[in-house]
Amino acid sequence: MTNSECDLRSRISGRAPAIEMPIGIRPAAAADATAGTPSARSARPDAFPAEVHGTTVIAVKYDGGVINVGDRRATANYAVMFDRAEKVLPIDDFTLLAISGSYARAMEVVRYLRHSFKYFERSQLQPMSLDGKLSELAKVVAASLPAAMQGIGGFIPVLSTFDRAASEGRIFFYDAMGARFESTEFAAAGSGSYQIRGVFNYIVKTRGPFHTMKRAEALREALLLLDIAADLDAATGGWSKVLPLAKTISADGIEDVSEAELRAITNEIAELER
Amino acid sequence: MGFTPFDFNEAIVQRRDHALEGLRLGSPVVGLSLRRGVLLVTVRRSQRKIYEIYDRLMYSAIGNQSDIEAVRLGAVDLAAREGFERSPDDVTAQRLVGFSLSPALKDVFRDQWRTPSVIRAVFAEMGRTPDDDAFFVLNYDGEFSQHAGLVAIAGTADAEAAMREALTEWLDAAASGNGGPELEPAVAAALRAWAVGVAALNDREPDEDEASSGAARASAVLREELKSGRVEAGLLDRATPRDSKFSLVSAEVLDRALKMAQGSEDR
Repeated sequence: MTNSECDLRSRISGRAPAIEMPIGIRPAAAADATAGTPSARSARPDAFPAEVHGTTVIAVKYDGGVINVGDRRATANYAVMFDRAEKVLPIDDFTLLAISGSYARAMEVVRYLRHSFKYFERSQLQPMSLDGKLSELAKVVAASLPAAMQGIGGFIPVLSTFDRAASEGRIFFYDAMGARFESTEFAAAGSGSYQIRGVFNYIVKTRGPFHTMKRAEALREALLLLDIAADLDAATGGWSKVLPLAKTISADGIEDVSEAELRAITNEIAELER
Repeated sequence: MGFTPFDFNEAIVQRRDHALEGLRLGSPVVGLSLRRGVLLVTVRRSQRKIYEIYDRLMYSAIGNQSDIEAVRLGAVDLAAREGFERSPDDVTAQRLVGFSLSPALKDVFRDQWRTPSVIRAVFAEMGRTPDDDAFFVLNYDGEFSQHAGLVAIAGTADAEAAMREALTEWLDAAASGNGGPELEPAVAAALRAWAVGVAALNDREPDEDEASSGAARASAVLREELKSGRVEAGLLDRATPRDSKFSLVSAEVLDRALKMAQGSEDR
């Protein structure tokens, strides 16, 4: 780029990068927020609902792509703060992010990624590669770590995408440091995910791998897993009041699972224990 | 030696001539506001010419490619930052052109130590309803104007006037039908207007026999120009559920529109 071009562009838009992820709460500030009130916190843990958390999200493959389901609950300590949370969010036409942990931070990350991927495509005239997107997500997860160590702002995402080059669904999960893992069949995150880890393996070993299942079967298994998480984890919401959220990604893009279909499956699962 | 008012005039004229000379042979761009969405149509020679700026904003320009690119990147940066820090609803062509692009171009134009930009750009914005659609034309010296319904940019004012006339004529005819024009006939009409513009730029006096049929003349210009160029059209689609309304019109639609444009008086 010539000098005059740089000059005109920066005259128009200034010199700072167009979109920058706010670093969130700096460790020092985070320390103030929690360490400042240690006695109050330890004496009455429910007196200071510091931060709203998303609970359980699940991603499983099926023969046409990937299904994501999530309950609708968001909690702060022992309080249910919101029972219509959306924790499975599209970040572009073929990518879903399922989020758990700090709701504020996760929502900001989703907003950042949506803008950032679009900005890349508009300015560079080509879409960002899958690898580029995964690295971008790893960076923002890792950036939350200092705050997470102080007790707030930590979140764990599961990224599902339809790889159009390979014509298959793919699932990636992360740890709090930003390490990226690709799963062959499934992933889960959030408070209820630990209780159901073994159930995934049981399903794969008894019913076969998720990626060979039809959509309806994989969807039913995913909702059954969510139901078990709600049974075993205090923070995960069931569906007695509000239906869970389910979305699919396939070669045609992202689609919501209809309310009628969800209602039919959840009713059927509820009958199992009658 | 002192600086006299004459030097000022001289300098402005020279800089303007420099810009206008560079713009003169640019491939014109046609814009139409339709029920289906907002459309920009041109014929590209080498580079791509129609670009997405933001969710409801697209851009095309004639002039030096480096200047076109600098304005495009500046606009994309600015829109992205505003949309991220405030809201996508706050990104409008009025704010972008009036408060940021125009002053920057004006600065460069009046700075004696800088090469003036060679650019005439059009920003097309899709509103919530067709009545809210807007086109902004931005010039090398920072001057800008707002247009509704249709727009044409070309190297000379005469060519632009001829194109607008052709478009208005077609829109009036199409409006008598029910529900307004569809996409393909609109692209075809835009291509005919584009050809009218090119004919005006080439300063061709219509021959005696050609003058009788504007369509035949447009068809001849298109046939000639498409030996080296190809049609490009961008659409801000009112129907899509995506946040980003922009897409390039598919090759199949363009082919059919081109046949329509080159065909007889078929409207």
